[in-house]
Amino acid sequence: MTSLEIRDLTVELGNRVILKNLDLTISSGSFAAILGPSGCGKTTLLRSIAGLITPKGGAIRFGKQLVSVSSLVLPPHKRNIGYVPQEGGLFPHLSVEENVSFSLGKKTSKKEREELVEELLDLVGMPNYQKRLPQELSGGQQTRVALARALAMKPAMILLDEPFAALDQTLRAEISQEVVGLLKSSRTTSIMVTHDREDALVSADIIALMRDGQVVQSGNPAEVYLKPISAAAAESTGDILTLPANKVEGDQYRTPLNSPVEQIGQRAGYESGQILVRPEEIALSLEPGERRVSAKISKINYYGHDALVELNVAGLSQVVRARVTDTKGLEVGSTIFVSHKGPIRWVPDKATDQ
Amino acid sequence: MATTLGLTIAVTALSTLIGLALAWTLFNVDLPLKSTLQALVILPVAIPSYVFTYSWISLIPGFKGLWAALFVLVLATTPYITLTTLAALRRSDWSTYEVAQTLGLSGFQIFVRITWPQIKNSVAAGSLLSALYVLSDFGAISLLGVDTLTRAIENIYRGSFDRSSASILALILVAISALVIRLEERSRHKLRIIKSSSRIIKRAKASDKFKVKVIALLGIGLYLALGLVIPLFQLLSIFLANSTSINYSLLFQASLSTLIAACLGALIALALALPVGVLSAQGSRLGRVSDKAILIVHALPGIVMGLALVSFGSSIGWLYQSLLLLSFAYALLFMAKAVGSVRSSFDRVPKNLIEISATLGQRKSATFRRVVVPLATPGLLSGTLLVLLAAMKELPATLMLKPIGFETLATQMWSYSSIFRFNEAAPYALLLVLIAAIPTFLINRPDKSDGIGDDQI
Repeated sequence: MTSLEIRDLTVELGNRVILKNLDLTISSGSFAAILGPSGCGKTTLLRSIAGLITPKGGAIRFGKQLVSVSSLVLPPHKRNIGYVPQEGGLFPHLSVEENVSFSLGKKTSKKEREELVEELLDLVGMPNYQKRLPQELSGGQQTRVALARALAMKPAMILLDEPFAALDQTLRAEISQEVVGLLKSSRTTSIMVTHDREDALVSADIIALMRDGQVVQSGNPAEVYLKPISAAAAESTGDILTLPANKVEGDQYRTPLNSPVEQIGQRAGYESGQILVRPEEIALSLEPGERRVSAKISKINYYGHDALVELNVAGLSQVVRARVTDTKGLEVGSTIFVSHKGPIRWVPDKATDQ
Repeated sequence: MATTLGLTIAVTALSTLIGLALAWTLFNVDLPLKSTLQALVILPVAIPSYVFTYSWISLIPGFKGLWAALFVLVLATTPYITLTTLAALRRSDWSTYEVAQTLGLSGFQIFVRITWPQIKNSVAAGSLLSALYVLSDFGAISLLGVDTLTRAIENIYRGSFDRSSASILALILVAISALVIRLEERSRHKLRIIKSSSRIIKRAKASDKFKVKVIALLGIGLYLALGLVIPLFQLLSIFLANSTSINYSLLFQASLSTLIAACLGALIALALALPVGVLSAQGSRLGRVSDKAILIVHALPGIVMGLALVSFGSSIGWLYQSLLLLSFAYALLFMAKAVGSVRSSFDRVPKNLIEISATLGQRKSATFRRVVVPLATPGLLSGTLLVLLAAMKELPATLMLKPIGFETLATQMWSYSSIFRFNEAAPYALLLVLIAAIPTFLINRPDKSDGIGDDQI
């Protein structure tokens, strides 16, 4: 159990800059998710933490121990880090038992070894699998054995690289909850890399949003979802509509959806900005009324528990999406009245959105 | 020299066509006993060209000349193409065939537009192996009285012990072979790109039209009859007819000598190949350079290697005509095969497993011992077997370098059959084929899907 602190980390592979001046702090014992689209450098970040990559610059600290600073890099076998790669990466020539006990030295007696393996396999929900070979296991089972193998060395930190990507959706929810629960209860600092918003939002204590080799925002799930610092950050965690907010007169701003923007008087001084709207913050009604704008329904995606309605609003080039629980009276092609419930999420214009 | 070139081109073209047809049929037509047939079609690899020649000569008395050489060499080299092509077909991505079908391509169009691009490099590699085989062949050529470069070298060397004229001819031979190797190297380079895709191959239902099956079986049957059954049957019948007059202790002695020399050669080759293969798999510069150097040695026909080591050995008294020098010659001649296996088996160890081992607290040395070596071992074994097989069949270098009184199955058989004492040669030929069949079978087990070594025989 240890905290992680990364300062100014820069990694180049070949001639490409993968990570640039990246900062990240993860407190001891928490479960962090690094969320970002593919190619944003999240796996590279994980590999740098594990010591599998030599960074060009910056510092990585485990607790108070400096493990990586400029040319001084602690090799991976001295970092005491449990690494669970995509699809588990079990040694194909070794049984489950031999895989799990791989990191145990010669000092561990046979009996201790067997006990520890049994305990860990129980923990990951796979008792009596000692003698099986990796190829006899399903994808989810392989991930769990890989986790047991990582836990066997009592690591200071566990790194998981898209651990659930190979699983089908039903299995995925189940196994990810099990694994995350297990890691949280063991109070091992864990860092999971994922491109799946739901995976990250559901499981993590801290989410770090990554874009183009940098962490753009980090915080707890509600914070990063509800208070994104930029349109890009908002997009990482869910569907987002960006509305222009233009200054009309004095402190008055206007958006194409007649958003209740009076409350942003403190923004005075900006000529214009952007309002970030989540689909669940759009209300639909069949009647016109105050602050309601008329729109045409272009598509209804029905999910069962709710539906996503796509709307064309006059004078707005973007498609507006509204998440509604009740689709009664809604029809493709019909006219409807749209209002923005708030809250208001203001970010400065794109030009300054860095 | 015109004979050498003409024969090489003709044999390579014919064996490529036949090998390709065999492999394609075995892969696509749903035949009974398919895996057995696949193993049988490869088995002629275990029969040296001079044994082929011997059995056909003893069957047809007037069997001689260029056409006979063409016939024998096509039979002997076809399995190399079948082998590499089958391996490539197994590796190829079956889903692309299915997609092509849904896109409305006919069977022939699929072959031309989808299959051929995926396998052509492997087919080319097989053809070049076949070309090298013909270039360096000595046994069949001399038995059939065809005047190629190898035979000319031997004649000059034996007749006048004129090493410098022999060397000039040898250099020409090496130059041609090196050219062939250069071509092979280029195809090998491209081959690697194809190998890197690790998609699961899903097999669709193979063709099961009755007419197609009958034609396929007839074709494969004809090939097996000419290339395997008739020669073996002929050897066996001569052997049985003379079984009472065989000197069994001499036979046993020769088998033992064959095994000792070949095993020693294979072990030396493995020992020499290990560092080169490891370095080359790691992509180090030194590794790549020595890898290339060894490939060039691969182009040296046995007779040239023999000649070179005779000059080398005769300057060091104790080494000349020693068992060690002979094994060393085997190792040098066939090391490219071993290096190829070592490199590809180390290449195939997934990089992420090495990294995981490091994160699990293992030093590089421990990772090598506990992860890399166990995973590479099957490939190393098959590489060693490849050298073993080649060394057992080797004739010209063995004739030149063997210690006095040391007779292997190959040399013993040769000394009888070159003076047309076929009856006495038969048991040696038969035993040689039987012993050589063991590594051939082990390397190419039909149940082995990953086919390590498939393209290196």
